[in-house]
Amino acid sequence: MRRILIIDDEDDIREVAALSLEATAGWDILTANSGATGIEVAAAEHPDAILMDVMMPGVDGPTTFRTMQQNPTIAHIPVLLLTAKVQGADQRRFAGLGVNGILFKPFDPLTLAQQISEILGWKEGSPDPPPPLPST
Amino acid sequence: MDKKTEAKVDDLIAGLWKKNLPSLRERLDLLDRTAAEATSGTLAEASRAEAHSIAHKLAGNLGMFGYPKGSEVASKMEHILKEPTPDKLVTLANLATELRQSLAAGL
Repeated sequence: MRRILIIDDEDDIREVAALSLEATAGWDILTANSGATGIEVAAAEHPDAILMDVMMPGVDGPTTFRTMQQNPTIAHIPVLLLTAKVQGADQRRFAGLGVNGILFKPFDPLTLAQQISEILGWKEGSPDPPPPLPST
Repeated sequence: MDKKTEAKVDDLIAGLWKKNLPSLRERLDLLDRTAAEATSGTLAEASRAEAHSIAHKLAGNLGMFGYPKGSEVASKMEHILKEPTPDKLVTLANLATELRQSLAAGL
């Protein structure tokens, strides 16, 4: 089962995203209400992907992403930024960070899982990657 | 996606909307007060900043609940509150009214 970490300071966004991903895709959802907490959860839980708001009080999404990239234990986790509709220049700036994709708010709860799967190349019904081989 | 899953998601979203109605009403009241202050020329910086944050949040989430027009109007308010000018600030009152009208079915 996929595990997704949602990082957003807005309760409504976390709740709607969580229930939609659980109900439509059966994914396991983790949540954090700040970038700092999100980094802690990512390091402890190693989700398959992170869905993160851009504009958060304190540490914003891009700064949180850059901090994650400096941590080798979580730098490989795909990150999708969640943002209000923005100008082309902002889109290019976000894409230039090295994130895996950008999703726009407000999103459609019925298609959110599908959008994430398409961006990350996850095929519906395909088996999850095998677990690491046991060390000898 | 099958109809049963769609109906389940719709029910969950409707439940969340209902649960969050008190918070939404407070946010709409705050935007009404901000619009009134903007019209009378008494809008303080702290009020503007708070209203900007609220409008941003509403622009991002009303559409998820099936109110795309609400997101659109809140987004207009957000942009006015981000870089306010006297001629734009006086339009906030009409937008605040339009926002409530767009949500009337769910309030």
